[in-house]
Amino acid sequence: MRAATSDSPMTPRRVRVADAADVPVGGRMLVTAAEREIALFNVEGVLYAINNRCPHKSGPLIRGYLDGCAIKCPMHGWRYDLATGESERPATATVYPVIVEGDGVFIEIAA
Amino acid sequence: MASNDSERVAQAEQIIGHEFRYFVGEKPGWSLTAGPQELELVAHALRVLLHARVVPDFSDDFRALADIQHADGGWGQESISTESAVWVSAFCGLMLIRGNRVLADGRIAASVERAVDYFLDTQQRDGRWVDPRWADLDTTSHPVSFFDVCLALGESYRKTDVARAREAGSRFILDHQSDDGGWYDAEFHPSGVEITAHLIQDSLVADVALGDRIGVRDACARGLACLRAWQADDGSWDDENVDHTMDCTRSSMVVARLLGESASEASIQRGIDWILANKNANGWGDFPGMETNLERTCDGLDTLLKYKAYRATDPHAITRLWGYLP
Repeated sequence: MRAATSDSPMTPRRVRVADAADVPVGGRMLVTAAEREIALFNVEGVLYAINNRCPHKSGPLIRGYLDGCAIKCPMHGWRYDLATGESERPATATVYPVIVEGDGVFIEIAA
Repeated sequence: MASNDSERVAQAEQIIGHEFRYFVGEKPGWSLTAGPQELELVAHALRVLLHARVVPDFSDDFRALADIQHADGGWGQESISTESAVWVSAFCGLMLIRGNRVLADGRIAASVERAVDYFLDTQQRDGRWVDPRWADLDTTSHPVSFFDVCLALGESYRKTDVARAREAGSRFILDHQSDDGGWYDAEFHPSGVEITAHLIQDSLVADVALGDRIGVRDACARGLACLRAWQADDGSWDDENVDHTMDCTRSSMVVARLLGESASEASIQRGIDWILANKNANGWGDFPGMETNLERTCDGLDTLLKYKAYRATDPHAITRLWGYLP
C-alpha cells in the first residue's frame, strides 16, 4: 500500500489514525484527528485523506461517490481531487498527507 | 410507524408543532434581521414561514431580503456577497413574490420586478441558465419556476417576455430528458435522483396548472416513474440521503396530484414514514445519525406541511404550496 503526499508550509504533526488493514483497496474509513473528521480512501492501493465535510454545504464526503481519483459529495455532486482537494466548483477541500509505516496509517496535520 | 393516513397526518402535525418551535428558537441562525446569512438558508426559512401561514409575523424578514437585492436584480450566495448567482436568486425571488401575496408591500413588489429583469437578462440563447454551483438543468429549473409563479399569480410586469423565457427554459429541460425518463448531469451527482425530483416539481409540472401550454404531462409521468423505481425498500432515496428523500417525497406529492395519478401513493407513504422515523430530537441532519442542520430542518418542516396539504380535502391545497395556483 502506498500513500499520497503533499507539501505543507506549516510544521506537521503526525497522527496514527488507522491500521493499514482497516482500509483495503477500494475501501474507505472515517477517522478523527486533531478534532477533525477525516475521510480515508484507498484508490487502487494509494491512500488519500480529505476533510470529511464538503466546503459547499458540509455534506459527508465519506458517503460520496468515487470518480477516478476524486470524490463526489453525496449532497450536490461537487467533485474534489483526492490528491489536491481541487474542484471544478468554487471551493477547495482540505487534504492531508498520508504515510503508511509498518501496519499503521498516519496523517500529517499542520500543528 | 403510522398504519394509516390519519395516524400519519396526526404524527406529522405533532412533529410540525415541535419542529416549528425549535425553528423559531433558532431564528438568529437564519434571519437577516439578526445579521449576515447564507441566502439559500434564508430562502428555505422563508418557505417554512409561508407554508406555516405566519408571514405577517415575520414581515421584516421578507423586507430585509428585498433590501439586499443587488442592482442587477439578483442575490448572492451570502447576504454580504456582491456577485449575483442564478439558483439562489430564483429561490429568493420565489419567496418574495409569494410572500407579497400576503404583505402587499411596494418595496417587495419592485424587488420582484427587478428579479424578473435579472432572469430575462441572464438567460442563454438555448434557453438555459448557468450557475457554477449547480448543474445547468437544475439551475434552469429555478428561474422557470419563478416565471411559472409569476404567470400563475398574475404578475403583469413584462408578461410576454416572461412567458417566452419560461417556455424556452422548459423546452431546454424537456429536450434533455433521458430515454429512461430521468435527467442526469455527469459533472454533478451521478444518480440523477435529486435533479429529476427538482425538474419535475420545480418547473415542468406547473405547466399543468397553467393550462397545458407547453405539454409536459408525459415527461412528468416518466420522471415520476423513475422516482418510484429509484426508491429504496426502506422508503429513502440515494443511500438514505435525507435531503434527496425529502425532495423526492415532495416532488411525488405535487406531481402525482397535478397529473391525477395514484401510482405513487405507496411511495409517498414510505417516504413520509422514513422522514418521520429519521429525525433527531430537534431537526434533521443530512443522513441518519448526523447532527441537525437548519437547512435540512427547514426542508423537513416544509415536507410535512406539504404532506398535510396533500392529505387535505381540497385537491388544490398542495399545488398552492408551490405557488402554481393563486
